[in-house]
Amino acid sequence: MNGALKITLAAALLAGLAGCGNDSEGTGPFGILAQTAGQVVAQRSAAEQPAAPARSPEDAAAEALRVNPGPLIQAGFENLGRTTVMAMTGQNGAMRTYMTPAEEALILRDGMLVGTRGLGNDLSVAEPGTESLIRAGAAGTGTRIMRYFAGDGVERPLQFTCTVGAGPAPGVTVETCEGHGARFQNSYMVQGGQIAVSRQWIGPVLGFVTIQTLRP
Amino acid sequence: MRRSPILRRLMATSLPVALVLGSAGTTAVAEPMYARNMSTYGLGGGIDTPTAETLPDGTLGATVSWSDYGRRSSVVFQALPGLTTVLRYSRVEGINDYRNDGYISDRSLDLRYQVLDEQGWRPAVAVGLQDFLGTGVYSGEYIVATKTVTPSVRVSAGLGWGVLAGKPRIIDNSGQGGEPNVDDWFRSGAKPFASVSWQVNDRLNLVAEYSNEEYVAKYRSGSAFQQGDEPDNGLNLGAYYSFGDSYQVGVYSIGGNTFGAQFSILLNPRQAPYPSGLEKAPAPVRPRPAPAADPDGWSGVWAQDPTAQPAIQTALGDAMAKEGQILESMALSSNRAEVRLRNNRYINQAEAIGHTARLMTRALPPSVETFVITSTTQGVPTSSVTLRRSDVERLENTEAGQIADASILSDAAAGAPGLVRSEGVYPRFRWSIKPYVDLGIFSAEDGLTHEVGAEARASYEIAPGLILTGALRQRAFGNIDQRGPGRRDPQTGQPIRGEHYTPEEYEANPALETTPEGVPRVRSDTRMYTGNKSPVIPELTLAWYAKPTPTVYTRVTAGLLERAYGGVSTEVLWKPANSPLAFGAEVNRVKKRDFDQLFDFRDYEVTMGHVSAYYEFTQGFTAQLDVGKYLAGDKGATLTLTREFANGWRIGAYATKTDLSAEEFGEGSFDKGITLSIPLGWATGQPSRERVDANLRSLSRDGGAQLNVRDRLYDRVRDSHSVKLYEGWGRFWR
Repeated sequence: MNGALKITLAAALLAGLAGCGNDSEGTGPFGILAQTAGQVVAQRSAAEQPAAPARSPEDAAAEALRVNPGPLIQAGFENLGRTTVMAMTGQNGAMRTYMTPAEEALILRDGMLVGTRGLGNDLSVAEPGTESLIRAGAAGTGTRIMRYFAGDGVERPLQFTCTVGAGPAPGVTVETCEGHGARFQNSYMVQGGQIAVSRQWIGPVLGFVTIQTLRP
Repeated sequence: MRRSPILRRLMATSLPVALVLGSAGTTAVAEPMYARNMSTYGLGGGIDTPTAETLPDGTLGATVSWSDYGRRSSVVFQALPGLTTVLRYSRVEGINDYRNDGYISDRSLDLRYQVLDEQGWRPAVAVGLQDFLGTGVYSGEYIVATKTVTPSVRVSAGLGWGVLAGKPRIIDNSGQGGEPNVDDWFRSGAKPFASVSWQVNDRLNLVAEYSNEEYVAKYRSGSAFQQGDEPDNGLNLGAYYSFGDSYQVGVYSIGGNTFGAQFSILLNPRQAPYPSGLEKAPAPVRPRPAPAADPDGWSGVWAQDPTAQPAIQTALGDAMAKEGQILESMALSSNRAEVRLRNNRYINQAEAIGHTARLMTRALPPSVETFVITSTTQGVPTSSVTLRRSDVERLENTEAGQIADASILSDAAAGAPGLVRSEGVYPRFRWSIKPYVDLGIFSAEDGLTHEVGAEARASYEIAPGLILTGALRQRAFGNIDQRGPGRRDPQTGQPIRGEHYTPEEYEANPALETTPEGVPRVRSDTRMYTGNKSPVIPELTLAWYAKPTPTVYTRVTAGLLERAYGGVSTEVLWKPANSPLAFGAEVNRVKKRDFDQLFDFRDYEVTMGHVSAYYEFTQGFTAQLDVGKYLAGDKGATLTLTREFANGWRIGAYATKTDLSAEEFGEGSFDKGITLSIPLGWATGQPSRERVDANLRSLSRDGGAQLNVRDRLYDRVRDSHSVKLYEGWGRFWR
């Protein structure tokens, strides 16, 4: 085998870094990195596409309502810069899990955000001590604990002190929270104890999500 | 990006260089005093002088620093909040030892302990040992204090001994080195040093210091060498620029007449790009219908139907397969279900158990109230988590500690009544063909070496616990060529740098396979196994794993165990699921493989093995002590200390001392090294059990050599045992 051929062979091998086999969970470091790179490239090229037939959120919502008979919400992730329709995939008492087609999840309790899954910087669980005030449209203060999956693999709590009161617009309740040098304000539109529309803070990386009930 | 205080709290600690960026104001007060630049020795600090600063706990970093004085490559690990450790490989210019090259290659180890952190008016205080294993070119000790003067200015002052006082220790290179010379520490006169650092903005840090270092090496023989040029004065200046989240470049001048540059990278295991992982959301819990809505399901009469379990088992197995789990077997009665689970996807076993518990609520009839989820590895059960279904329903998506309190962890017996194996799980054949890359980074003589090629690998699990594994490698290119061990000077007996026996010479003379001191070459001829142009078989084994009692595990592996040895390896391990303590024993009968790495053997044969004690401390620290006989027939002990994080990062250090004399053992006197294992999922966010492993051993010698048999029991078994399971329990509802 001459040198040039060897190098071509090697280059070909490296090009097919993911290798092949029937061992889907053990593709090796190169496989995983290649997959990741592939996804990044896919995301990039998707982002660079001039969103061809730009479907408005309203069109997407109408389409979803037609196709899916179950409960639906529309969620706008501000830091991710996207709005998606999410369908209910599970209900446990008042807690509902809504998922995107890519199986990212928002977990809501009667409209109050209690967790996210599959977004990379997920909120593990929120324990809003202000929930009853918000539902009653009353004013007062309470403690909100937000637990996150931290980088070291441990679930870590952040505690905030929150003040609930009437918002600038009628029917809107705002919850202003402070702690750890951060400050955020959630807004809820409550109708009969149900949170129909809201803007809630997920965490430091994902920021706010706007949630609108399409079909309760 | 400036990190907000909240992110920093969340990461428990943030990246040091990112913290460097987080200038002044918001951070200076409550934060521990983290270094803002790396020194030429690879610790946080001034330019050449130390400071009392630390790096965030757990930080792993590397610094390469070049100047006319030499090249220092340092790996730093913040092992405890106050303890900084550094392993350094240096090329020191201007020194002629017996090799007469005009430079020497030197390894050194540093420790620094921050005794007091800064508080109020009190400065931070640290004490350090530099190049403390044996007397080396950089040996010295110091006590240093660092104080924040204004949010952007810090001042350090200290007392130094040895090199730091400009009084280098006399190097005695007749011995083999490697052992601390405690008698010299903090002796022979101290001199003061000082530095000031100014954080100009988020990225730029300027440092000025006064140092006594003269860059002279003195030997017992009376010879003294000036490394590079003698510094004109004691004033050093440096500028450091941080970029990205984890990089820093710096330029510096020493004594006004020598200039240098350096590059640092710092990683913090606690900071991941996707801390929660990018895996899809799990299927949620499905609560049971009211009894009136499903009277048959609640009554348990379904259990009389012989078709019920196969249908349920198939459905549950399919659902688990989608989440990367294998349902190996299942026992089902009207009120209790036990599933045996093999986790192929998640680093944290708790995540696999959490997913499985939720899938069970979706698959099992309402009368089943007790869930037993038994983890397995290599076909052998390791532990059982018992949950009440109503707790799973009640506690879904709450703080993970609540479901932990409601669960019971227990030992798992090899069999259980009513256990039915899933169809199609055994025999299980897996194969793959993928590229491989072997890298040698820290070799003092060879620099960066590599070999690239393709590896075909297959495993066939004939029955639970019985696994046939084989691999075949074909090298494509690389510069790790075959060669014999180093030649010695016939008169002095000292090795001659860069001269090795050719493979032909080595194979032709069997006497060379024993060192002149009479030690069989069990590892020092390891390069004879490299550079094969034809296919080689790195391993071909039949392994049998079993569990004679609920707390005892056994392994027998036979065949071509590793690159250089074949034979039989047997192991037994006692490890209760709830115990931090474990004991093990291993006995191996092995023969040295031929250099072509096919089916032939050489003459050397040995029975070796050890007894081991393992202990899991809090905070992710584990210790392992092995006492026994090593490959060369030498007897001794290995102590390994490892720190691991819930996200799967592992950083360990080990030292082996045997009954070989320092001369027989070779340079270094005893074997020591660092192991590092990083889960790929930490870097990519994709769920995976794959890891990147590295083993930095300061020397590869024949003393204290261990057999590299794969899948030893302890690490396999421990994933689902109390300490590690609960460490990662926070991902139960992930």
